[in-house]
Amino acid sequence: MDHQTKQDQATSRRKFLKAPVVAGAVAGAVLSPGQLFAGTQGAIPSIRIPKEIPETLTEKPKDASFSGKGMTGAEVFAKLCKEEELAAMFCCPGNYTVINAIAAAGVPAYGGRTEGAMCAAADGFSRVTGEVTACSGTEGPGFTHMIMNIAAANSARTPLLVLASNMQIAGDDREQFIQIMQQQPLTTGIKKYGKRLIAPNRVYEYGTYAFRNLKSGVPGPVHLDFPGEVARARFTDASTLTDYYTKEKYRTGSRPHPSSKDMALAIEMITRAERPIIVAGQGVFQRGGCDALQAAAEKNEVAVVTSGPMRGHFPDDHRLSASLSPDALMSADLVVFIGQYCMPSPGEYRFSADVKTIRVHPEQDDLGRNWPLDLGIVSDEKIFLDQLAGNMPAKKRDAWVNELAAARKKFEDTNLDHYQLGLKHSAATDHLHPAVMAKEVHDFLYKGDIDPKQTVTGCGGWTSGIFAGRWLRANRPGQGVACGYQFGAIGPDLAMMIGAGAAVQRGVGPQAPYKGAPVLCITSDAGIAYSLFELDTAAKYKIPVIAVVYNNNSWGMWPSAVGSARSMHMYLFQENLRYDKMAEGLGARGEYVKSVGEFREALKRSYHAAATETVSSLINVQALKEFTSGRDYAPGIALPPEPGVGAFAH
Amino acid sequence: MTRAFLFRGLVLVALAALIHAQDNKTPLTVDEAKKLRNPIPFSQKSIKQGHGVFVRYCTSCHGNDGKATVDVVADATDLTAPKTWKNGTTEGEIFRSIREGEGASMPAFKGQIPQQEDVWHLVNFIISLWPEDMRPPLHDDK
Repeated sequence: MDHQTKQDQATSRRKFLKAPVVAGAVAGAVLSPGQLFAGTQGAIPSIRIPKEIPETLTEKPKDASFSGKGMTGAEVFAKLCKEEELAAMFCCPGNYTVINAIAAAGVPAYGGRTEGAMCAAADGFSRVTGEVTACSGTEGPGFTHMIMNIAAANSARTPLLVLASNMQIAGDDREQFIQIMQQQPLTTGIKKYGKRLIAPNRVYEYGTYAFRNLKSGVPGPVHLDFPGEVARARFTDASTLTDYYTKEKYRTGSRPHPSSKDMALAIEMITRAERPIIVAGQGVFQRGGCDALQAAAEKNEVAVVTSGPMRGHFPDDHRLSASLSPDALMSADLVVFIGQYCMPSPGEYRFSADVKTIRVHPEQDDLGRNWPLDLGIVSDEKIFLDQLAGNMPAKKRDAWVNELAAARKKFEDTNLDHYQLGLKHSAATDHLHPAVMAKEVHDFLYKGDIDPKQTVTGCGGWTSGIFAGRWLRANRPGQGVACGYQFGAIGPDLAMMIGAGAAVQRGVGPQAPYKGAPVLCITSDAGIAYSLFELDTAAKYKIPVIAVVYNNNSWGMWPSAVGSARSMHMYLFQENLRYDKMAEGLGARGEYVKSVGEFREALKRSYHAAATETVSSLINVQALKEFTSGRDYAPGIALPPEPGVGAFAH
Repeated sequence: MTRAFLFRGLVLVALAALIHAQDNKTPLTVDEAKKLRNPIPFSQKSIKQGHGVFVRYCTSCHGNDGKATVDVVADATDLTAPKTWKNGTTEGEIFRSIREGEGASMPAFKGQIPQQEDVWHLVNFIISLWPEDMRPPLHDDK
């Protein structure tokens, strides 16, 4: 057996599970730089993880107490975070008192290279688990660096706790020392709730405000800023804190139930329809309604298409999935939106103008927004789906199921046509076409030895994201991330997937069966600039990420400059930049590919390193900017039909 | 050359172009496109059908109203202002732009909209977005 065959076999899931992957703490493992980073000889020291990292990660949590010296305001807040099961915190140093207290309390904590990327990482962790996560940065510069990704989290309705220090109340309006600014106005419009804490004895009370908002109704970012007087205040007696009681008293788990009349009408409308379809939004995932959704859909043969910032809450490979059947959408005569928080307008989703509509939403005041309804139902998503599965009669819809299958075949055939064109272009130019890149990732993850339900993927970038979106699959809850969902930020992709990787590493929620598995991110050369340095963070915490970087030497929007004088230079980078070399400089592996054969081998090697050594890789896929344009290299790019695979607007 | 002969010649050229247009695999040239005529009358029924195609394939770049005011997609054409168009405004040229793609940004849609009839309906819908004084008279659906 040759060496390569041995490597190939080592990439199987069975072998992978036997590998000594340690979730969570690094458990004392120190990278072996000689194995990971070639070219460090002589007097140049190798990249290595300092011993303090595994040491401090394996320390036991420290319980804060009112006795003795008492608790700081930061410790009071951290204790609340722990009791509320805050799933993880991603931060850069700054807001020291608070982040130290949260880490000491036992909340899994990660420190990275930029606050913006850490915010995206926290968002990514939440998108693949549904859990509340936090990000933190220092006052002023660190906080403002997070803004783009707070906005992205807001568009994605992520339950994200945004924390930042904010100097001292005593220095307000005096420009005392440095980094003075008012934070709360800056997050206006991109948060669900926010507060600058100004009364130290109300630190717990405002913490309860935060978690009440994060865990009730439609989620969204909550932003708290901590002046020093609050974070460093000391409390030796719980009675000095306002509203200091347990979570059962400051928020409720009670959820809205549909009325029996609404439920009966919904069942009648669905049963009477010939081609009903459920648009399963993020609320289905976040509220734990995936199993009920599948049961309801199967019972009455209702088609399902998923939407939202995460994917997989209905499996793409299910016969009733319409996520790969865009041409069937126009045939639907009834659409049932469930948990669709970011609501499209008619025309933005590919449904007939005459389609009847039911919308199920946990809050009454959003029903009827953007999309005219035939029936609006106030209900928790899971409760509605449970009742639907329980009360709806069984029904067969052979014609509808056959139409879904035919539309899926057409979609997949079109993808294959694009792949064949891409192969031709790749061979002719000695550069890799994005259709080939996307198809090869697809085959590697879903057609080979790896369990097709295992690998969590996410994609972004313009040309790269549009092609990848057609080929990435989500066959179980939390398996996919639409990195650019709704806000359309270019760049958070890798950081978001490192956050998702942290969730997989710990086996949180739906990631439990795949604990420790590698995650894969497809992004662009434009996008990677925003979060490349987080490969250091991935290495530090041994989060195995495979980053496929589509390098076309440009911003994907370069066609905007065509025909415009003195403009193109603004859209182009130096050609043939080596992101693989940059990755090596950050302690990850680097691969450089220009052909399909090279790419296949690079994927195998990268997966092997990720699965067996928890080492991340960056694969630089060298392409040409002209592949974006159908003028010379058909098919060019067309925005994906929505809803369905590749959708990112709603 | 007699007038009748000339007329027969033009018909033959137009027919050849039309037959050519039915073959999705062979690219349609600009000259061929200019000779094409929409076989489907400009009627409310056709415009409605074209709108259905437009909603499916075009709104993400050109917007619901065709004005392409969202600056996310590179330089999409304002379909309501034909005087600003760069690649022709005849029915055939519009047909060609849709089928073969146009400029650096717009992809070919002959794969996604394989039925020629759908493209012609779409042409009619696009023309319906023009200023009233530029539109042809509506054909009576009856």
